[in-house]
Amino acid sequence: MGRGPQQSVPVFCVGRRLLRPLQREDALLHVIAPAILFTLLVSGGVGVALALPRAGRMPQVVGAATAGLAGGLLILAMTIRAGADAPNVYFYIFSAIALGAALRVITHDRPVYAALYFVLTVISTSGLFLILSAEFMAFAMIIVYAGAILITYLFVIMLATQAPEEEDVEVLADYDTTAREPIAATVAGFLLLAVMTVMMLHGTAGLQKPLPVEPNALLADMPRKVESSLRNHGMMDTGDQIAIDETTGKLMIDGVKGEIVIKMESGLTATLKRDEWPSDLRVKNVEGLGFDLLRNHPGTIEIAGVILLMAMLGAVVLSRKQVEMDEDAKAAQSRQLSERRLSDPGAAAIGRGPGGGE
Amino acid sequence: MTNWAEPAITSLLGAAFALADDGAHAGQAADHAGHAAHAAHVIPAAVGGASAILLVPIVTLLATIICGVLAALGNKTKLPAWISVGALAICFGAVLSVYLGFDGVPKIAYGFQWINFAWGPEGKPGHSLVADFSFYVDTLTLLWMLFVTGLAAIIALYASEYMSHDVGLGYCRFFAAFNLFVFSMACLVMGDNLLLTFLGWEGVGLCSYLLIGYFYQRKEAVAAAKKAFIINRIGDLGFILGIMSVFVAFGTLQLDPLFAMIQKGVDAGGNPIAGTWIVEVIPFLFAIGAFGKSAQIFFYVWLPDAMEGPTPVSALIHAATMVTAGVYLIARMYPIFAADEAKMALTFVAWSGAITAFWAATIEMAIFDIKRVMGYSTISQLGFMFAGLGLLTPQGAAYHTFTHAFFKATLFLGVGAVMHGFGGQLDLRRMSGVIWMKGFGLVGVAMLIGSMNLTGVPGTAGFFSKDMILAQGFSTPDSMIGGARWLGWLLLLTAGMTAYYTGRTFFRVYLGPKDFVPGNDAELIDLGRHPKGTSLEDWHAQHGHGHGHDDHASHASHASHAGHDSHGRSASDHRTATKLDFDPTTEQFDPHPPGIAMKAAIAIAMVLSVLAAIPYFMGPHGGWAAEMVNKSSASYHGPDTFNFLGITSHYAMYLISAVVGFIGLLIAAYLHGPKGWQGLFIGCRESAGVAPRADKLVGMFGPLTKAALNKYYVDEMYDAVIRTPLKVLANIFYLIDQFIVDGLVNAIGAIPKFLGKTIRPMQSGELHGYALGMAGGLAVLVLIVVLAAS
Amino acid sequence: MNTLLLGSTLAQSGFPAPMSEITLAHYLVVSAIMFTLGLIGFLTRRNLIVMFLCTELMFQASGIALIAFSRFHLLYTGQTFVIFVLTVAAAEAAMALALVVLLFRRKESLDAEAWKDMQG
Repeated sequence: MGRGPQQSVPVFCVGRRLLRPLQREDALLHVIAPAILFTLLVSGGVGVALALPRAGRMPQVVGAATAGLAGGLLILAMTIRAGADAPNVYFYIFSAIALGAALRVITHDRPVYAALYFVLTVISTSGLFLILSAEFMAFAMIIVYAGAILITYLFVIMLATQAPEEEDVEVLADYDTTAREPIAATVAGFLLLAVMTVMMLHGTAGLQKPLPVEPNALLADMPRKVESSLRNHGMMDTGDQIAIDETTGKLMIDGVKGEIVIKMESGLTATLKRDEWPSDLRVKNVEGLGFDLLRNHPGTIEIAGVILLMAMLGAVVLSRKQVEMDEDAKAAQSRQLSERRLSDPGAAAIGRGPGGGE
Repeated sequence: MTNWAEPAITSLLGAAFALADDGAHAGQAADHAGHAAHAAHVIPAAVGGASAILLVPIVTLLATIICGVLAALGNKTKLPAWISVGALAICFGAVLSVYLGFDGVPKIAYGFQWINFAWGPEGKPGHSLVADFSFYVDTLTLLWMLFVTGLAAIIALYASEYMSHDVGLGYCRFFAAFNLFVFSMACLVMGDNLLLTFLGWEGVGLCSYLLIGYFYQRKEAVAAAKKAFIINRIGDLGFILGIMSVFVAFGTLQLDPLFAMIQKGVDAGGNPIAGTWIVEVIPFLFAIGAFGKSAQIFFYVWLPDAMEGPTPVSALIHAATMVTAGVYLIARMYPIFAADEAKMALTFVAWSGAITAFWAATIEMAIFDIKRVMGYSTISQLGFMFAGLGLLTPQGAAYHTFTHAFFKATLFLGVGAVMHGFGGQLDLRRMSGVIWMKGFGLVGVAMLIGSMNLTGVPGTAGFFSKDMILAQGFSTPDSMIGGARWLGWLLLLTAGMTAYYTGRTFFRVYLGPKDFVPGNDAELIDLGRHPKGTSLEDWHAQHGHGHGHDDHASHASHASHAGHDSHGRSASDHRTATKLDFDPTTEQFDPHPPGIAMKAAIAIAMVLSVLAAIPYFMGPHGGWAAEMVNKSSASYHGPDTFNFLGITSHYAMYLISAVVGFIGLLIAAYLHGPKGWQGLFIGCRESAGVAPRADKLVGMFGPLTKAALNKYYVDEMYDAVIRTPLKVLANIFYLIDQFIVDGLVNAIGAIPKFLGKTIRPMQSGELHGYALGMAGGLAVLVLIVVLAAS
Repeated sequence: MNTLLLGSTLAQSGFPAPMSEITLAHYLVVSAIMFTLGLIGFLTRRNLIVMFLCTELMFQASGIALIAFSRFHLLYTGQTFVIFVLTVAAAEAAMALALVVLLFRRKESLDAEAWKDMQG
């Protein structure tokens, strides 16, 4: 990073204003040159706008390529600027897949494919979580999202597809094939993105490195785990126990200091220092997460349970509502809509059930 | 008259106040020759004593109202005319009685309080405005009012017959405007304060407009009326500025205090006015006002076009009275003109007058329309009057106004009779020997006398009055009026040209073999009713056949006019009348001689124009008129140093002007005179249209004549220089108004529309629209927060 | 660039080595891009189901951001919160899909614009 704070920043006015506080700390420039940022954002926006569902196939491809290129260059620029602080290589792989799949979700004109691409997104997001040492979340995400929610989506998609006619070719509804106001949406979205990225990048520069937290403090709450681990590794004999502090009455497992005091059968105490601990004696992600969840957010758990209960009840109640239409009318209507759809795709979108309603 | 008056005046003066140049005033009565020029003292006015003069405005206003009422009642008789004649005769009687009982001291006849404001500290000058409806009667006003009311009465009599074909609404309208005119003229001439004078000033302009545009169906008449009014208005700007300046400088608009202050040479604050802007600028402003009204150079273009009005109007307004208002104004305000040591305004007036006289005379030598010849001749003579004022002989100017009124009125009445009788024919190439035609003898004699006056044949009134001015043109030294000598020569030359064109008209139209071509109105029986220039079809279209138009009701009144038929009948019905003027089958046209009323009017005017010479001898050095002027504020004694071959001024000028006039007449006779004695034995014209020598001369002068015939394209030049840029400017402003101003208003009106269009989608029911709004709003909000925080 | 092995990021003592801000910035940018893509998809697509799919995408993005911060600050709060986000997302997805089914039954169409007549 050879540029000093005095460098003049050739950006758009907004960027200049945004950068005013940064010039004191030159924070954004640590991460990326603002000009590159905005240029890439704009080109990315153009690409996305082109890629959204539209009449021709070629613009979509071009748009997608442009957007992908822009995203990639952005990350690359940040990486180059980062130097030694660049993230893991898996970050790049997973984020590329995630963003690509996300783009495909929003641009694919078939809902089923969109859902499937979303599954891919979820999987790559889980990969990102893994790199971020959140193993539980990674798998929970896959199980819940890809395994439950997306399956539900796929079922509903199947339910909600109109009955195809005799011909085998599945005709896509017009509302799938045409995006609505792509440019306005892209502008709004990328405006938000610009602000967000700049603030994020600015903000991160102001973050202080966290104080090193000794994560093994939780070991004090898991005596049985400590004992079993020590016993498995032969550091504790059968008769040994973990010492209890006379004055406080607590077990003398000090994860912070890195000392475990064992009271041996003979009554002698031995202190195990951190470097003597077995290699698997550490707080795992699940354990830590579990302790944090139940210790610090018990009420929220209850509320979450209630939310899920209500959702379940609501879904049951809603799905019981029947639109009273006899079979003949339904068949006739669906036939009618298919005809209209074939002849005039636009009109098919606005149909109204005859005599419908409760 | 002067024998008993002057001692009385001097004693009065001595008793009333002590003034600086007492001695000069006392010496004035005794000795005029070689005297240094100075102004006489202005006599302060006495209130009351001339209340009979108030009859003039009252009676004329009453007559106007009665004519208006008659118009509303749909009167179809000649009653308005008789009412007018009676009213004007009463006015003349009133003026005459006041004049006879006048003792030389100006009187103020108080009418009613009109404007009376006071503000600010008491007694300070310029902090109160008093303008009452009261009349300031002194000799100058009496001089003017005598000929104004007299001529008005005569011309009303003339018009009663001239306009008789229009009885009904038009007739009443004519006489209402006529009376209103005399009322305005009275206010103008006799106004006690400048504001009342201005009221009259505008009033005569208005009546002139109404009367020029009397034949309002004619485009040309309407255009001429507008032109007259607008050009008067331009001059009025000067007048208004002058009034305001007077108020600012002197703190009062009333004549009496004003003259007293000017007399003492101080303004409202007591500061001396000599050499200040007051005496240098104010006279200019009044002069401009006078120019507009009196058709001086650059301002004269309305007067020839004003001939579109009926002839009585031309006779009264544009020959005798309204156009002399400018002369009157300068004469009235003479003290302030004379207060300027350098006399710059007077120089300006003199030069303008002389140039106008010369200019108009040159145009006239080429014009063929005899009414327009008279119009330009009026302009030329007005130039003489202004030159007289400028050359420091207000007496000469006033007397020339007086005589000019009578003989010009005579000339116009005669021309009107000719026009009336020949079916609207006015081209002098198409008439000849009118004086020998049956019924036109009186007209011819009147024209002869009028022409003699205009030419300045020795012994006529016009000769004496013009001579006074010409003499002063050679007497006033160049030190007082710059270039006075040049002006004198110019005026002399103009006098010669006047003689020429007058003779040209007279020799062509009135003398020679009887020959004529009837005018455009000849196909119609009612000549003079149908305005010249409208086609027969138009005329019938306007008045129709046999429908209840007011003209038909006037048949009874036509019984006195032999040869008149009902109008509105088609040509095939002409045969049923007793005597036809124009028999379409034989295509023979008999000229229609004027009736009793017209003849009476012409006769009276003619006699008066002859008698107008007499007052010249009723007193030393300019006669009665000069005396009248000398006793008023306009008094000024110009130097009297003209000397020609040892003969002193006036007698020398008699000789010179007589010679010059005679030469002019001879040239006219040579070029235009008929063969034989009528052309003074040197003419060669044999028919109406052909005057071989004149035509050859025209050929020699070529483009100059053409230019003169086209009035030197002055109107066209005004059009290009003033009207066209104004039109362009107006169009630009119109565009600005349409696009910018209206555009602004429309844009403001479009704002709710636009707002509606943008806000309406908020309620479109489209989910995505709402979502987009939310997302966009969020983005903008975040942006604002970020920007605000940074 | 760090070493390629996954395991080397995990230190012996338990929690992994502290993450630098720049790396955090990388993750945050990814999260922001994904969020934006989800937002654009929501605003653009007319199929109701795909619209809700895009909201799920937005949830994903927020999840990435939270986890990244959790990793940065070496606290469990972020991950806890993601659990709840997940819960809410699941509940919301269930309700949304039930409603979509109902709507579809009314109009036989999944077009969001079919419901334009509910304006005002």
